Amino acid sequence: MVDHCYDHAAALKEQGRPVVGIMCEFTPREVILAAGAAPVCLCGGARETVAAAEACLPANLCPLIKSTFGHHSMGSNPFLEWADLVVAETTCDGKKKMFELMAESRPMHVLELPQKPDDPDAFAHWLREVGKLRSDLEGRFGVRITDDRLRDAIRLMNRERGLRRELAGFMALDAPPLTGRQLLDLKSLISGIEADLEQYELAIRLYGQGAAATGSPLDRREGPPPVRVLMTGVPMVHGAERVIELVESAGAVVVAQENCTGLKPILEVIDPEAPDPLRAIAEKYFHLPCSVMTANRRRFGSLAALAAQFRPHCVIELVWHACLTYDVESHQVRRFAEDELKLPYLKIDTDYSPSDSARLALRVAALFETVRARAGGAGPGRTR
Amino acid sequence: MIGCGVDAGSRVMKVVLMGDADDRPLASAHAGQRPDQQALAAELLGQALRAAGIGSSDIAKTVATGYGRQLIEQADTVVTEITCQARGVRSLVPGVRSIVDIGGQDSKIIFLDDRGVRDFAMNDRCAAGTGQFLEMASARLGIPLAELGRAATGSRAASEITSMCAVFAETEIVSLLAAGAGPEDVAAGILRSIAQRVASLGTRGLEEPVVFTGGAALIRGLDGILSAALGKPVTVARDPHLTAARGAALLACELAVA
Repeated sequence: MVDHCYDHAAALKEQGRPVVGIMCEFTPREVILAAGAAPVCLCGGARETVAAAEACLPANLCPLIKSTFGHHSMGSNPFLEWADLVVAETTCDGKKKMFELMAESRPMHVLELPQKPDDPDAFAHWLREVGKLRSDLEGRFGVRITDDRLRDAIRLMNRERGLRRELAGFMALDAPPLTGRQLLDLKSLISGIEADLEQYELAIRLYGQGAAATGSPLDRREGPPPVRVLMTGVPMVHGAERVIELVESAGAVVVAQENCTGLKPILEVIDPEAPDPLRAIAEKYFHLPCSVMTANRRRFGSLAALAAQFRPHCVIELVWHACLTYDVESHQVRRFAEDELKLPYLKIDTDYSPSDSARLALRVAALFETVRARAGGAGPGRTR
Repeated sequence: MIGCGVDAGSRVMKVVLMGDADDRPLASAHAGQRPDQQALAAELLGQALRAAGIGSSDIAKTVATGYGRQLIEQADTVVTEITCQARGVRSLVPGVRSIVDIGGQDSKIIFLDDRGVRDFAMNDRCAAGTGQFLEMASARLGIPLAELGRAATGSRAASEITSMCAVFAETEIVSLLAAGAGPEDVAAGILRSIAQRVASLGTRGLEEPVVFTGGAALIRGLDGILSAALGKPVTVARDPHLTAARGAALLACELAVA
């Protein structure tokens, strides 16, 4: 997928078409696609760039922001270097202020996120913000973003989200044909690439025929069946997959990923025939259950629906260190998991450094021992 | 039938041999950690076998736990110290609801119900609140580790140790002593601070009976200070440093009949 993205972005640049960097699932990709540009995710997942970022940014900031900014200082992310514009979403304070530093040397459009998802004034404001993004893209790139182009972009994104939903749906099977880690790899950095969509279709055909990928849970001929895990919390961006790997290597399969790199942004379909397509787009994004919202009640509805569909045995929440909104909200998620979903809950607070891997593996193993013991399954240990 | 439990802890390795029908271990052995886990485990196992008057072929199964658990080649299975600790303490105090464990390099609270482990909370990110912190303090004060509690009982005004970091806490201890604080007051302050660190792991859902385990539970008087911090009475487990190894040995017995 990353190869496709690289080739795609390189080809676009040769054609003189713009690349637009984004760092948040609130940025409406349809509007960027309708401008003839490619929306590319810039979220840093590399720990190698964190040190460079800490020259400017505080150590006590989330690793995703630091890694992204480190790429900016080091010039090490080709997509950022190609970007003709960066959309600076005000998702959180750390990101907002980091973007101010980045804006010193890169073209930027600040997109202000709403805070109160249940307030009609918040939506009106959000709709104006999406409209301002449309105007800015039109002015910068000399294009007209017509309603028809928006409708085409909606159809393209609906198709992409639909394919990704279908792939993720395989995880609801009793024996999922792929691991959560493999599913995560099937998430592209750039939306709307035809080669990616064809790969999704191919994967759906293969998995639909019951073909198990190498190393998939189906390949396990011995040992107890894997523990089914619902992961929630922060995104696991490209390069930052350590925790899901650690969880699955402890004898589990992550059946649902309630986060921005998983199911969260792909659950809703936009009506391409809506009378006002920009409004329809704005509505879809406005519904994202992000922890920066107050109150973020939709997240609990989503967790309940996903738990019913994917039948996890436990909930593991990932919080990037110093991600305050997810960290604080984790108390409510724990209560919801334990009291409403009746599922054991484990929070993992970590960053991109592997120094705590052994300690995290211990917690995960202990959680799975508890889950297995309660299911009355095979003994608590892992036979070697 | 005999099960063997090896707890390769961060500071001390322990070996316990349990007969499946017995309450008391057949034998146990422990020694300070060294890099060669395999050799140390073999040595301790040899000691325990001699003490029990049996041979290695009498051991049905071996379960390893603790930080070095993956390195113990004799083990048939590895189980985390959370499950082992719970199993060991439940065999001593059947109705136990909460276990507070202060080991060499971590501290944890394990929450149980009738079916076993329900939840757990761990501090393993910093040295404050661990046995190693107490070792540092004991060296600074010139009071043997096991005597810290007794020394603290002589305190009339416990010093306040506010540093969250073991390194800065050491500086704080030095400053307090330099300012004329009595070692007993500082000792009391240290034990209070460690108890508060452990209590901060979460008293949500902390139900009685609360059992105290780990090497730190051998410090007489720390249980009372912990009780005050938790707001609940705390009982020290029998041989509190051996409970995880005991649990591992009991799980080994269960594994042998499974």
